[in-house]
Amino acid sequence: MTHFLAATALLCAMTDTVIDIEEVTITDHTVRTVQTNTTLPSIQLTHDYLQQNFSGSLMQTLQGIPGVKAMSIGSGQSKPTIRGLGFNRMAVAEDGIKHEGQQWGDDHGLEIDQFAIDRVEVIKGPAALLYGSDAIGGVICLYTNHIPTDSLSGAVQLFGRSNNGQLGASAKLGLRAGKLFCRANFTIINYGDYKVPTDSIQYYSYYIRLKDQRLRNTAGLERDGSLMFGYAGYNFHSDLRVSDSYAKSGFFANAHGLEVRLSDIDYDRSRRDIDLPYQWVNHLKVLSHSSWRNNVLSVDVSLAYQNNRREECSEPVSHGYMPKPDGSMERHFDKSTYTANLGLKMSLAEHNLNAGVNTEYQHNRRTGWGFIIPDFETGSYGAYLLDKWQPTDKLKLNAGLRYDFAQTHIHSYNDWYKTPVAGGDSVFKQRSADIDLTFNNLTWSVGASYETADWVLKANAGKSFRIPIPKELGADGINYHIFRYERGNTQLDPEVSYQLDVSAYWANKVASIQIEPYLNYFPNYIYLNPTSLYEEGLQLYHYTQAEVLRYGVECQTTCKITRHIDAELKGEYLYAEQLSGEKKGYTLPFSTPWSADAGLKYSHKRHGEGSVGLNVHIVGKQDNIVPPEKPTDGYWTLNLSASHRFHFAGSSISLSLHADNLLNKRYYDHTSYYRLIDVPEAGRNFAIMAGWEF
Amino acid sequence: MKKTFFSAFLLCALCACSSSDKTEDMTKPEITADGEQTCPVDCQQFKRGSVIPFHYLLSDNVELGSYNIEVHNNFDHHTHSTSAAECEIDAEKAPVKPWVYNSDFDIPQGQQTYTAIINIDIPADIDPGDYHFMVRLTDQAGWQQLRSMAIKIVE
Repeated sequence: MTHFLAATALLCAMTDTVIDIEEVTITDHTVRTVQTNTTLPSIQLTHDYLQQNFSGSLMQTLQGIPGVKAMSIGSGQSKPTIRGLGFNRMAVAEDGIKHEGQQWGDDHGLEIDQFAIDRVEVIKGPAALLYGSDAIGGVICLYTNHIPTDSLSGAVQLFGRSNNGQLGASAKLGLRAGKLFCRANFTIINYGDYKVPTDSIQYYSYYIRLKDQRLRNTAGLERDGSLMFGYAGYNFHSDLRVSDSYAKSGFFANAHGLEVRLSDIDYDRSRRDIDLPYQWVNHLKVLSHSSWRNNVLSVDVSLAYQNNRREECSEPVSHGYMPKPDGSMERHFDKSTYTANLGLKMSLAEHNLNAGVNTEYQHNRRTGWGFIIPDFETGSYGAYLLDKWQPTDKLKLNAGLRYDFAQTHIHSYNDWYKTPVAGGDSVFKQRSADIDLTFNNLTWSVGASYETADWVLKANAGKSFRIPIPKELGADGINYHIFRYERGNTQLDPEVSYQLDVSAYWANKVASIQIEPYLNYFPNYIYLNPTSLYEEGLQLYHYTQAEVLRYGVECQTTCKITRHIDAELKGEYLYAEQLSGEKKGYTLPFSTPWSADAGLKYSHKRHGEGSVGLNVHIVGKQDNIVPPEKPTDGYWTLNLSASHRFHFAGSSISLSLHADNLLNKRYYDHTSYYRLIDVPEAGRNFAIMAGWEF
Repeated sequence: MKKTFFSAFLLCALCACSSSDKTEDMTKPEITADGEQTCPVDCQQFKRGSVIPFHYLLSDNVELGSYNIEVHNNFDHHTHSTSAAECEIDAEKAPVKPWVYNSDFDIPQGQQTYTAIINIDIPADIDPGDYHFMVRLTDQAGWQQLRSMAIKIVE
């Protein structure tokens, strides 16, 4: 069986509706870098691929791409990282608009309906040119704007996961009448406490026994819905999409809050209820995209409004000089983001010119008795120009320039309770000062690709940047999640990154080899440094900047052994070192260890299409660490996947099964947020999905 | 041209891989007993209104940072992993006026070993019962060590 990976003619900022798609047929379980017009390493995953490789969540599915990892953050949720860079060092974009939640946070997931996604493109490498700040490591571009082609189409999916007893359903409907179209998506998910292969864990010197090997209170739920209306003409296209995503999940009850304490809440009475402490997030998005084109010129306008509300609730408890607060609302954030993008594209003989402006305004307000980030407003403005030049059939060159300007206003914050100071007085201690900061940055990129019948060679060099986030600038307080005192630094400069990427790809009819090394240098990486000092009884962590060198390589080789059997071998390696500052010589936190995958897949076309695959995932030991990490042993897991699709009367039924960690191995993931508190990764897990498409 | 560039790049990456002779401090500091003067030790009892003559030996392979002492009640019978001893423990109870002590201390610069001696006053009006006595210690590299002792405050 084969599947289609679509190759984009344009970079990812463009929406689905405007792309000329050139289809490349490749073997089933291979995720291959698209080797066409873009000179940056980028990978396309189609809806079919996502469905047949469904492994419980979108992020888990994307882990199949070398260089992409899902960093688990508890509650069975995960956050993406590209080549070891996550949080604000990579961007997630939905239909070309950067998703703006509270990305800095350690413990929330994508906040996007992953079942509404039609296709995914992953750009590995600096993508600042089109996305501005944050896209240092790369961009995960999610597209939900496929235009229905039939007058009525739809799908229903039911899915489940054995480890946390997850049950979910998703439905979508598409309507088309001439040039008008409409689509709707709904998803509900409910899951119970997460299971780990251990009977007790050790958190901050406390011993915590687990009942039935379950992490107490990590159950959750998710509800998503979206509606889209559009007009798709030959020259003019316009659509409007409104989506809302709500998620509520418990925090692991024994490892959250001001101090480890036993609660009167009977967490063990049910594994499906959500008690305190918990969080909920609601992300509302209104997105409008319009484009007009003729043979030479195209104009795109995108406007978006996003509102991200997030609340963390926990049992009120007095701490230090803070008396017991009223109510359980520890933290509430309400962040609105307004985005306006204008893009122009022009074809002039061998040149393809791309120019545009991006503007974004963010407004963030906090309430609750716990302080971690101040109120702020940020306005950012960027303009770019990119030229793609194809002097010969085989050679493509590109070069681009971008300028960004940003203004941040951070509000002052004082404690709501008094703290005694020297001289017998007591004051409402200031945690954040009122500050105005401006940042600007010039970024650039150059690239080349050269193609022959068997070979594709690419090289890219680029500069990207990131504006320091208000937490890094203005935090001054206890991080309740991880028992440390964190202090921001208003002197931080925009973080700058220079990266060199090379890629070589060779393929014939039965085999392919790809190797992608990269070299990445940060003159001023923003780093949360654990100091030797104590502050309010906890170890003080302070934001500083250090020179950092990172390099790595991803390799992948595939071979078609017989008409039905494909083999695949892939691996990745990453090294990071701080070249200056207090942690000179140390690596960066959560450094990804080397890993390799070997897989075999049998596919057939009897009664539809089907496949069965077996994969061995091997991860190396990580002893290149930085305080407060612990070295993490290597491990290997055995994983199985199977899928089948039946066709009948214009519709199809698909079934897929994904079994992870078949041998129920107990292991730790060095890049997991829970590694620090010695929570092992999930034991054996089966993810199943049944879908009906018409 | 491109192949040369590519090979050079790969070579750089491989060379860099092999230079892993790390000299960074990867060792946590230690909190150790100092003979008979060591105080408090597991299961030790103290009277309300009296003094805990804290005495421990702090050491690091490179240079010590600072330390913190914290005392909290164990009326709910939670346990710490660094406390090996099983002491006789009172029945569970709700705190009325539990003793809370939390204080940070500096260590003079350039020390690899340091004998920490602090007299801690126990208030006379606090709830008697089982308490945990926690010591936290950092080194200059930012590594942290914990040690926990189970003590009892009596009337």
